[in-house]
Amino acid sequence: MTSIERPQVRPPAPWSFPEPVDTTLRNGVPLSVFHRPGQHVASIQVVIPLPATVEPADREGLATIVSRTMDEGTRSHTADEFAGLLEGSGIALGASQTLLGLTVQLEVATGALRPALELALECLTEPAFPEEEVSRHVAQRLSDIEHELADPGSRAALEWIDAYYDPSARASRPVAGRTATVGAIGAADCRDFHAAHVTPDAARVVIAGDLDAAQVHTAVDATLGTWSSKGAAPATSGVLDLPRTRGDRVVFVHRPGSVQTQVQLGWAGPPRRVDGGWAPYPVLGYLVGGSPGARIDRVLREDKGYTYGFGAGFRPRGASGTFVAGGSVRGDVTAPAVELLWEVLDGIADGFTPEELRSGVDYVGMTAPGRYATADAVADEAAALALDGLQTGFVTDYLSDLRRLSADDLAQAWARWGSEPRTLVLVGDAEAHADAVRALGRGDLTVV
Amino acid sequence: MPLDYQVETRTLPNGLRVVVSPDHNVPTVAVNLWVAVGSRHEAVGRTGFAHLFEHLMFQGSRNVAEGEHFSRLQAAGARLNATTWFDRTNYFEVVPTGALDLALWMEADRHGFLLDAVNQGNLDNQRDVVKEEKRQRYDNRPYGNALPDIYAAVFPEGHPYYHSTIGSMDDLDAGSLEDVRSFFAAHYRPSNTVLTLCGDVSVEAGFDAAATYFGGLPTLDRPPVPPSAPLDPLTAPVRVERLEEVPSDRVYTAFRLPGDRTEDYLACELAMDLLAGMATSRLYRRVVRRERLADHVFRSAFGLAGGVSLGMLGADVAQGHSVAELESAVHEELRALAASPPTEEEMQVLRAGATRDVLQAFASTQERADFISQYTLLHDDPTYVNTHLEELLAVTPEQIRQAAARYLQPDNAATVVYRRTDSVKDEA
Repeated sequence: MTSIERPQVRPPAPWSFPEPVDTTLRNGVPLSVFHRPGQHVASIQVVIPLPATVEPADREGLATIVSRTMDEGTRSHTADEFAGLLEGSGIALGASQTLLGLTVQLEVATGALRPALELALECLTEPAFPEEEVSRHVAQRLSDIEHELADPGSRAALEWIDAYYDPSARASRPVAGRTATVGAIGAADCRDFHAAHVTPDAARVVIAGDLDAAQVHTAVDATLGTWSSKGAAPATSGVLDLPRTRGDRVVFVHRPGSVQTQVQLGWAGPPRRVDGGWAPYPVLGYLVGGSPGARIDRVLREDKGYTYGFGAGFRPRGASGTFVAGGSVRGDVTAPAVELLWEVLDGIADGFTPEELRSGVDYVGMTAPGRYATADAVADEAAALALDGLQTGFVTDYLSDLRRLSADDLAQAWARWGSEPRTLVLVGDAEAHADAVRALGRGDLTVV
Repeated sequence: MPLDYQVETRTLPNGLRVVVSPDHNVPTVAVNLWVAVGSRHEAVGRTGFAHLFEHLMFQGSRNVAEGEHFSRLQAAGARLNATTWFDRTNYFEVVPTGALDLALWMEADRHGFLLDAVNQGNLDNQRDVVKEEKRQRYDNRPYGNALPDIYAAVFPEGHPYYHSTIGSMDDLDAGSLEDVRSFFAAHYRPSNTVLTLCGDVSVEAGFDAAATYFGGLPTLDRPPVPPSAPLDPLTAPVRVERLEEVPSDRVYTAFRLPGDRTEDYLACELAMDLLAGMATSRLYRRVVRRERLADHVFRSAFGLAGGVSLGMLGADVAQGHSVAELESAVHEELRALAASPPTEEEMQVLRAGATRDVLQAFASTQERADFISQYTLLHDDPTYVNTHLEELLAVTPEQIRQAAARYLQPDNAATVVYRRTDSVKDEA
C-alpha cells in the first residue's frame, strides 16, 4: 500500500449546463425541454413570476395558501378525487411561493408525462378552492408557524429577516405569512387571487428527463398551451426587498434552557447580475463556509470543537442578495464563538492563498456535472433562474469565468460586500449569555 | 419497467467485495464503501462510538494529513461524506472520472492504515464535534429525542437496536484511544467491507483500480459478528409519555417489523405507505382531510439486517383535538387493514408511487451505489437493485393485509407521545 504513489488527478473535459430545446406554446408560454439520458423520472416545473408584494397587506401568505390548495379540488374533481388521479398515475405534485414567484412542480415517470400535464393544467386553470380545504390549509399553516418558532434554526431565520430588512419591505416578513395575516385568509381570497395573478402571461415551463423534445412539445402544447390569459394582471406596488439603514446590530432571542445557541450572521450581498460577474461568489461561499476545511469551520469546528459545523454563502435574489453564515454552538461558549466568527470573517480581508483560490475554483467548477446529474436538479436550477429572469446559460457562463478568476478578483469581490453593516441573531439562553455577547461590542444588542 | 443496470462483482484475495456498475451518462463515478459495523456492535458503556469513529476517519491516515481527505478530494471536484447507522457505516464520494484513482487511494489509506494518524487531540476534538451534533440534532430541538425514545420502547434493553447511533454524552466522554485501536482491529478489514463503483468506469477498469489500491490491504481473517436472533412483534402495548416544550402534541405509533430483504418487510412497507405515506392514504384521508384530528401524518420504515426492523406512524394533533381521539382513529385504521385487504384502486396507487420512488432514487448514481453496497454487504444480493422494484410490485393485497395483522396492530405497538407544556403556547 505505502509503495503506491498518490495518484494524479486527470483534469475533466470542459462541461456546460445541459442545452434545452426551447420552443413556444400556442399561448405564448416559453417551454424548455432538457433531454437527460437515463433519467426515467421527469421533472416538470411551471414557473410564474409573481412578487409576494401582490398580496394584500392584511392577507400575507395568501399566495402560499393558493399554491397549497390549487390541487385540493377543481371544477371537475373533489380534492380527494384529484389526489387519487395524481397518485394513481404515480405523480407527485408540489407547489410553493417564494418572494419572487409561484412554482408548480411535478415528478413523474417519463411514461406518464401526459396525465401529469393534464392534471397540472386542471389545477392551474380550474381550481375550486373549497371552503373546507382552504380552512384546513390555513389551520395547518398556523400550526407550522408554531413549529417554526419552536425550532432554533427557523426561529433564527425569522428573526434575522425581521432585524435585517426595513419594516416596509415584504422580505422582512415570512413569505408564507404570520399568524394574524394567515388567520384572515378565506376561500374567496384564494379565488380572487388566483383569478388575478395565476396566469400564463409571464409563465415559463421547464421539463427535464429522458424525453424526446418534439414529443414533449406536442404534449405540452395540447395541455398547458391551452391555458389562456385573462388580460393584464393588476399593477402591483410595494417594496420587496430593502435593508435597514444603520450599523451593526445584534438580536438575542431568549429561548430558556437551550443547551446550544443558534447563530445567524449576515449582510447585503450581490444579485446574480452583479458587475464583474457571479463567478467569485460561489467560490467565496465554499472557502468561507462550505466544508470542514473552510475558514469558519477550520477554527470553530476543527480547532475549537464548538460546533457540528457552520454553513455560509451568498444568496442572490432578484435585484439584490445577502451573505449569510449560520450554525449552532455550545451554549457556554456563545460569546467566544461569536468573537471568533467575527475575527474569521474580518480576516478574509487579508485575502486568499493561491492554494485556496485553486481549490475553490476547482470545487465549484468540477462538482457541476455531478450536482446537475439528475433531472430534478436540472429542472430546479432552470426554474430558479427563470424566476430571476435568466436562462441556464448563466451557469455555463459563470463556470467558464471561473478559469480566469484570480486571488485579486476574490479579494475585490469580498471587499465590495464584506464591509456592509452586519446583522447578528442569536437564539439561546439570553439570561446566561447575552451580557457576555454585549461585552464584545459588536453592535447594539437587543434581547427579545 | 424492468430495471437492467449492469452489476458485476469480484472478491479480492484479501476478502474485499467489489461491485462495479457502469453508467456513462455523466462523467463522474460514485465511490461507495459499506463496513459491517454500526451502533449495534457497540460495547456496553460505549454507545455512540461507531459514529465517533466515523468522524476520526476524516482526520488523516498513514499517507493523508489531517483534514486532507475532505480538502484534497473536494479540490478535485468530489462531494463526499459518511454516515453511521445501526448495522453499518458508509463512506462515499462522487468524483469526476479523472479523480477516481485518487479517491480509491485515499479510501484505501484510511481503511487500511487509519491508526498511524489517530491521536488524543483528534479524538478529543471530534468528540466535542459529535457532542455538538447530538445537541443540535437531538437535545436542542422539539421532538429531537423522539427516535431514541422509540428505539428504547420497541426493542428490549440490551438488544443491539435499543440504543441510538448518537449514543450518550457519558459514553462519548468515556471513549479512549485504546477503544479506537481495538474498534478498528475488530471491525475494519477488507473481508468486512464492500466497495461499489457506479458511474463512468468500465467493469475491468473498475476491478483493476480496486485491486491496485485495495489489493495491498492485509488479509485479516476474523469471524463475522453473528447476527442477533430474530425478534417477534411486541406481545403487549408499550407506552412512553413525555411532557416537553413542543409546539404540537405528537403521537408516534411504532412497531417491530420483519427483517429487511424479506417479502413480509416489503408488505409492511407498502402497508405503511397505504396508511400514511400519501395524500390518498387512509390516515391522511381520515384524520387530516376528513376529521381534521391531525395537522400532518407521516411514516417511516427502517429496514434492518438483525432479524427485526422498525416502522413508525406519526401524527401531529390538530388544535382543539386530543391525543386520545387521534390514537383511537389510528387504531381503528390499523384494525381495518388487518380485517380486509387494500382495494385494487389502492394497489394501483401503491404501485405507481413505488415505481416513481425507486426510479427517482436510482436516478442518482450515489443512491444507486449506496443501495448496491447495502444489499451486497448485509444480504449478499448485489443485483437486488434490479429486482427490488419487481418484488415490490409483486406484493399482493392479501400479503399486505396479513402483514398488517401480524406486525401493525395496536396490541403490538409502542406508542410514544410528546405532549406540549403551556409555556410554548404562551410564548408564541
